[in-house]
Amino acid sequence: MEYLIHIAIIISIYSILSLGLNLILGYTGQLSLTHAAFFGIGAYAIAIGETKFHLNFFLALLIGIVVAGLLAIIIGIFLGRFRRDIYALASLGTNVILFSIFLNWTNLTRGPLGIPGIRRPEIFGFIFQSNFSFLLLCAFFSYLTYTILHRLLKTPFGLTLKAIREDEDVLSSFGYKVKTIKTTAFVISAIFTAIAGRLLASYITFIDPSTFDFNESIYFLSVVIIGGLADLRGSILGTIILVILPEALRFLGLPSDLAANLRQILYGLALIMMILFRPQGFLGKYKM
Amino acid sequence: MFAQILTNSLIAGSVYAIMAISFSLVYSSTKFFNMAHGMIAVVGGYLVLTLTKLLGLGAIPSIILGIISTGLCGVIIHFIVFEPLKKRQSSSTTLLVASLGVMIIIQAIISILFTSQFKTLGANYNLGNIYTIASATFTEINLVTIISALSIFAFLIIIFKYTRFGKIVRALNDSEEVATIVGIDTKKTIRYLIFIGSAIAGVAGILTGYDTGLEPTMGMRLLLKGIVATIIGGTNSLGGALIGAYFLASVENFGIWKLSGEWKDAIALGLLIIFLVFRPRGIIRK
Repeated sequence: MEYLIHIAIIISIYSILSLGLNLILGYTGQLSLTHAAFFGIGAYAIAIGETKFHLNFFLALLIGIVVAGLLAIIIGIFLGRFRRDIYALASLGTNVILFSIFLNWTNLTRGPLGIPGIRRPEIFGFIFQSNFSFLLLCAFFSYLTYTILHRLLKTPFGLTLKAIREDEDVLSSFGYKVKTIKTTAFVISAIFTAIAGRLLASYITFIDPSTFDFNESIYFLSVVIIGGLADLRGSILGTIILVILPEALRFLGLPSDLAANLRQILYGLALIMMILFRPQGFLGKYKM
Repeated sequence: MFAQILTNSLIAGSVYAIMAISFSLVYSSTKFFNMAHGMIAVVGGYLVLTLTKLLGLGAIPSIILGIISTGLCGVIIHFIVFEPLKKRQSSSTTLLVASLGVMIIIQAIISILFTSQFKTLGANYNLGNIYTIASATFTEINLVTIISALSIFAFLIIIFKYTRFGKIVRALNDSEEVATIVGIDTKKTIRYLIFIGSAIAGVAGILTGYDTGLEPTMGMRLLLKGIVATIIGGTNSLGGALIGAYFLASVENFGIWKLSGEWKDAIALGLLIIFLVFRPRGIIRK
């Protein structure tokens, strides 16, 4: 039972992330490879806020959102200049730079040692200590993400995003401020990603930079693509599949090093197979 | 100190140049950022490791065999994954995502076969001589690296300028469609280019293996340096790739003199970003 709760928590956390990523990747059609870094910013915001300044989880959450949001505005404006593969490359560059800040700004992040002893969230004296209560919190956030994005996509703003995916030039000739819209979508997406990072940090109570490197961005990408671009339910399905699939390897009793590598092969194969044979993903409405 | 940094830039720049030249060959023929290209270089290194340490072959035959097999490896991957996608008119972004998949698969396979520990190629083939010129020291393998980079560059320039194959390639780079119309077998030419590009990437992997050692994750770093150098220099120009590589290496090496070694990757990618924003077509505009 504990094990099932653990899986459910991981699925809830990662589904927040893949929902957020789908907004920029699926709906807006921009290949962002920098989301692992925002996942990291969220996690470090809570870790530093708690261990150094002894902030409450929700206060740290708020500060983290502001920090991630501001950073996302700067990076979003920068990335908004580019399209297609140059966008991908520039976002990859951003991820490498942010990762090397996590790794090398040792005064703040303790570098490769990581930050241990992150506490569980606490509100009005109630601590989300048991995994079950923590699951409820994560599920709540994941539900909130789904609802907000679902509503957002029905607004004119949401429709404009899809139009950007189809043709940026036409849209800007109609007088839409394409760059601003792309940046806004990026900021929203980054904030959700950072929230997921925050939850993960307080769930595993320990973070180090390796969780936020570029390879992680590839995993996130495969989750969204396999589930389906431009479909919110697809993102959740993709998360469920790609969290549960590698867990099956665990039951084979393989050594953890081998299991991690097999997981990577599985992700890569799933990604390539999907692109080759079903480019819109399981539930997607839009082909890559 | 200054002479040493300059020498280091020259050495590092040569590895980057080999990567950049090979990347720009592959890029100009397929028109997408092949993220698996760095792993191809690593495959070259590990092939030589297998041939020398496990099969006991001599260094020279292993290196030749390794380079050829790396080229073939690149062509096989192109044939299995990228050609079907190209046939379907997939966008360059789709191809990029597929290449990310290829990259993590190769990386994981190498980690399973050879563990993720550092492996060095050196011991079997003694390149231990150390030279000193004007208070700057370098090893024999460093010298080989610099010579390789420059001779690969010269070799390709001669091929592209003076042979029939070179003419075909230039036609292909201008427009694939027109090249097909005038009766050039573009598919075959692209495969040849991928072979050459991958083989050259293999050289970079092997040289790195002899110099600092091999690890599965180094592919990404090699690739990024190659891409950054290509973009800085200007895509579709081998000379640009070469200049970009030495420029990148100098900025990195002078940068870490002031900062510290860990910031090397950040400096390189920072440079990429500066170029993307202010001079997206590179130093040499075409």
